[in-house]
Amino acid sequence: MDHPIIKITDLDFYFKDFKALDKVNLNVPKGSIYGFLGPNGAGKTTTIRILLDLFRASSGQIEVFGKPIDKDRDNILGKVGALIENPSIYKHLSGRQNLEVIKRMTGTSKGRIDEVLEIVRLKDNADKKVKNYSLGMCQRLGLASALLTDPELLILDEPTNGLDPSGIIEMRELIQELNKKHGKTIFLSSHMLSEIEKLVTDVAIIDQGKILYEGKLKGLQNGNNAKELSIELTNIEAAATIIKNLSFTISATNNNSISLPIQNRQDIAKVNKALVENGIDVFQLKVTEENLESIFLNITNKLDQ
Amino acid sequence: MNLAIQLKRGISAEVYKYKKTFTFWLLILAPAFIPVINFLVMFFRGNEIIKVGDNAWEVLIAFGTNPGNFLFPFFIIMLALLVNNIEYNANTWKLIYSQPISRIAVYFAKVKVFTIMLFISLMLFSTFSLLVGFILSIVSPELGFDQPFNYGMAYALNFKIFLATLGMASIQFWISQHWKNLILPLGVGIGGVISFLILVQGWKYATYHPYGYHVLSIGGIGAEGFNLWGDMTHVYYSLGLAIVVFILAGIEQSRKRII
Repeated sequence: MDHPIIKITDLDFYFKDFKALDKVNLNVPKGSIYGFLGPNGAGKTTTIRILLDLFRASSGQIEVFGKPIDKDRDNILGKVGALIENPSIYKHLSGRQNLEVIKRMTGTSKGRIDEVLEIVRLKDNADKKVKNYSLGMCQRLGLASALLTDPELLILDEPTNGLDPSGIIEMRELIQELNKKHGKTIFLSSHMLSEIEKLVTDVAIIDQGKILYEGKLKGLQNGNNAKELSIELTNIEAAATIIKNLSFTISATNNNSISLPIQNRQDIAKVNKALVENGIDVFQLKVTEENLESIFLNITNKLDQ
Repeated sequence: MNLAIQLKRGISAEVYKYKKTFTFWLLILAPAFIPVINFLVMFFRGNEIIKVGDNAWEVLIAFGTNPGNFLFPFFIIMLALLVNNIEYNANTWKLIYSQPISRIAVYFAKVKVFTIMLFISLMLFSTFSLLVGFILSIVSPELGFDQPFNYGMAYALNFKIFLATLGMASIQFWISQHWKNLILPLGVGIGGVISFLILVQGWKYATYHPYGYHVLSIGGIGAEGFNLWGDMTHVYYSLGLAIVVFILAGIEQSRKRII
């Protein structure tokens, strides 16, 4: 196997006394679309900022392209394009002028601006002022500026955050195209599980600063026998309390049903019995196939507490 | 890539981002403010102001220097805010500090552009002041602007003011860079200017007050035998302070966690 593009070993990071990252280990293979998954506040953005030398690790090693970031920062950052959280854009300038600022900092050739505008499909709006851009256009402009130096590695922090469904689909297509057609390794973080599921080849799950799983997406699905139980019933609120008292995690509720991840068949009987004994009418018990969402909930086990 | 190239790239990008901004126009229009007023004053009341035997040019320059000395610190405060706030506003600290240019180069590019802006505005101020004299020599020849005058003096005077204000400029730059807050640098700056004006009336240590170095450095102007480069004490204070603060702020910036 090739040397990983990103190799993080035993990374710790503190905000004052709060331990934000706890012995984080990551290995991002070349050519992958690597999903970095976790609830808000789990440490995703902190990890990404450390990768870009915006934060400095309290302890641990970070190697990008096989070189330590603290020793070879400028060369590494020359081969990395990044999009971090909310877009970094000068609103008084046009899209093209925003790219010109970065072009001047990186010494990229003039023609590259048109190339990246083409890739992110912003050419027609390139000369409009950014303050007239939609959020989706801002995100794509951010992606364009990340692509300016033709980097081998793209680090995208929540690239679909705040986008509408068509914007999300567009961004997903772009990411896939960049990976397949332009051969870029892509490291992207998300808390939107359904998004990542369709996109990534590899995945790491982080919660409360700790890595809970790292590996192939397939491995996560096979190694974990989580299934989701969907129950149609009356009196959702009372039922939810009963289920929580049995220390299950509820993944979704609507007007007439509750969904929760389960480990095995015994769980179904256990939940059903508790519900019936408490006078709740159960109309249907349905076990759905495993999906990343329920696996994720099982692993992090904290949503909707 | 060596630091010189990085710095050059940083400066080139830094200059470009002020395109079509308020900052750009402030830089050009603010230095014209006092000369335009002085033109009107001289045009309408010049014959009362310029006495027989006065050199009209010297009167004109002195007329610009005093209000200039008072207003220039506020210009510094604003500019220090604007050059740093452009990044806070656009969320771009994380963008410029994740480019393949060392943090030190990015920082000094900004410092350099900031100080050059101050320098340009003072040189424009000199130019506009002289321009007022030339226009008056045509439209009001009786005022005596045909007398000989060492024009270089107007530039030299403002160059000294530039050097003597770098100290306070470094403080304002550091505060504006460190805090996203707009009010704090304004408060410190205005407080600095006002406190100097009060303390200089009688406090013996007022001579060390960084917001007054420029006033003190040209204190004897207009007096008989005044030599602009005679007393450099406050210029040295200012430069010393600027070097220390700019370096400390640079060290801070190179270690800072960039949000």
